[in-house]
Amino acid sequence: MRTIEYVIRRLFLMIFVLLGVSLIVFYLTHGVPSAWDPVTAYINPKMTASQIQAIRIQHGFNQPLYLQYFYWLRDLLQGNWGHAGNEASGLPVTFVFSERFPYTVELSVAATIITVGVGIPLGIISALKNNKLPDHVSRIIALTGYSTPAYWFGFVLQLLFFYYFAVWGLPSLPSHGAISETLGGAVPRVTGVPIVDGLLGGNLTYAWDAFLHVILPAITLAFISLGYLARIVRASMLEVLRQDYIILARSKGLRERVVIYRHALRNALIPAATLTGLFLAGLLGGAIITEYVFSWPGVGQLSLSAVFAGDANFVAYYTLVTALIIIVANLIVDVLYIYLDPRIKY
Amino acid sequence: MSTKRTRESQARTEELKYTMHQLFRNPLVVLGLVLSVFFIVASIYVTKIMNPNALTNPLGLGNMTLGSLSVNPSIFLNILIYGAIAYAIQRLYGNKWATIAFVAVIFIILYVPIPQQLQAVDPNGPSNLMYEQKLCWNSQSLINWGTQTTSCPASTNYLLGTDDFGRDLFQMILIAIPLDLSIALEIVLIATAFGVVVGAIAAYSGGKIDEVLLRITDIFFAFPGLILALVLAAVLGRTITTLTIAVLIVWWPTYVRLIRGQILAEKSKNYVEALKSLGLSSRRILFLHIIPNSIYPVLVQSTLDIGGVILTFSALMFLGFSPSPVLPELGNLASAGVTYFFQAPWLIFFPGATIVVISLAFNLIGDGIRDVLDPRLRR
Repeated sequence: MRTIEYVIRRLFLMIFVLLGVSLIVFYLTHGVPSAWDPVTAYINPKMTASQIQAIRIQHGFNQPLYLQYFYWLRDLLQGNWGHAGNEASGLPVTFVFSERFPYTVELSVAATIITVGVGIPLGIISALKNNKLPDHVSRIIALTGYSTPAYWFGFVLQLLFFYYFAVWGLPSLPSHGAISETLGGAVPRVTGVPIVDGLLGGNLTYAWDAFLHVILPAITLAFISLGYLARIVRASMLEVLRQDYIILARSKGLRERVVIYRHALRNALIPAATLTGLFLAGLLGGAIITEYVFSWPGVGQLSLSAVFAGDANFVAYYTLVTALIIIVANLIVDVLYIYLDPRIKY
Repeated sequence: MSTKRTRESQARTEELKYTMHQLFRNPLVVLGLVLSVFFIVASIYVTKIMNPNALTNPLGLGNMTLGSLSVNPSIFLNILIYGAIAYAIQRLYGNKWATIAFVAVIFIILYVPIPQQLQAVDPNGPSNLMYEQKLCWNSQSLINWGTQTTSCPASTNYLLGTDDFGRDLFQMILIAIPLDLSIALEIVLIATAFGVVVGAIAAYSGGKIDEVLLRITDIFFAFPGLILALVLAAVLGRTITTLTIAVLIVWWPTYVRLIRGQILAEKSKNYVEALKSLGLSSRRILFLHIIPNSIYPVLVQSTLDIGGVILTFSALMFLGFSPSPVLPELGNLASAGVTYFFQAPWLIFFPGATIVVISLAFNLIGDGIRDVLDPRLRR
């Protein structure tokens, strides 16, 4: 019962946080009239001046700013988000977003798999060989990872695996986009995720090509974030190894491997599990820099061009959805914590 | 009362000594310290020896001054900062000579005049050439543009090549380091100070104030940092000050959360009860006793964040919020390399590598301190 109460309380608080988020987003995207004209997002080129005026009144753009917020909130809750693009001919933002989102999902999942696959072993090794050479090496890798600008690492990877591999006559990896241009539209769009669509459509060449495309951006994202995961795993592993039950397990005469993998690791990985969830949520919001560097057709890159084009509606939608993803992920992670670690009670 | 204060600060000094001892046993921390001291000293030197015309735009787009970007603060501020450090050394090691030596070195670095030698603008780059033709690695190199090649002027020698304005990239990086470092330090210092005050108020007053302040930080945590910074930068405009403010707004809530947790844990300890029963005012207990005892994790986070702030700030520059294409900022220098990536990879490689090394230096220190201060791993 306590858990349910806790979740309800959190959901209640979530409404306030979302309102705060929407307030900030609204003022950032609509509060500066010179930067964005909000009415363009609701009109198309065929409309006459009087029709445009009617829309202006309908959405409250002739009202003071604080009232506009409530009009905007009403439109938002009715699902009327306007059109994307600074030009009036744009498509609905919801449509544009859902077109691009699967690509971001593919990249995020791939990056998360690499992060977990490398970061957790790195952290474990670090903890087991505390303050010895392997610890120092893994520390260097981890800290270099989160000291590295994503754009720099992305370009270095491109230079090496795309350009120089091609120059040296080795099989080189693609550096741009999510799928080769020649294969575009070769399989019907089902989920929108290229690899999955390729497999569902039975087109293995397509799936393989999509897989090759995701390697470099995923490595870039994983490298800059696995350090954090490795450090967390190391810290929690070190803490767990000092606990009484580990001493007990050792004094029972269990082999070291059993002690570590069966007893210590399970508890030590709880923070890692939650961190991975938050990490994935953050990536789903779009890895702007990586998507930009690799011309990845995801929502992050789209949002960047929207910011530069002054596309208020897309930026608003994008920031709200991203915030929602992160808030919900936080909630899920906190609730999961209760199940993963029975010692925690709310 | 005064003896009690002395004993408490003595205990703190002992603790600090032990921490320093532990810290210097870690080779990576020493490496980080050496690197960051090197960068700071280099920054101070560069701003000293820099030719005032170094930032003059070779294309005649207008001049830029380095006045507000200088890492070299006023003499008064210098005396304050280095006096504090000297006092700390005196307390830690009790060695008069070490203190005097330290002050002397700093004084020499700051105030002994050095002939100005740095010339950022390459006189060999005539301004009527295409941008591409100004790119250069060194005197023998050819740059391959697919259908044609361009060569560098003879008798030129560049350590790291030139950028697309014909400027020596090495010198541009040298100028960029103090700019990036001072901005990062500025952002982290302000964010930490602001976050600590807000967090302390939240934790110590509790109740409704705490709840409201926490919800406000929740709102900021709901945004991915870079996205909020991007939108803020787009709205606020493209100057160094507005970009700094954008990153600042993204950064402060972290410290609120951190110090709040620390203070809540500290508040329930016995010594706070004792101080209360002695009749001390709550403001005094908070600022003189609780905050000094719970500030270390925040300082660790600040050290780690210097790297993160440089990354975020230069990413904003890289993505195109730079106030001017000629501004020697590391992210901005790297962004020039995107266009000529396969012809002139050095344009993006060296500025980026500089960011990695600076950021790594602070991360090594921060990570080492965190290890030493971690109460779960202590003694």
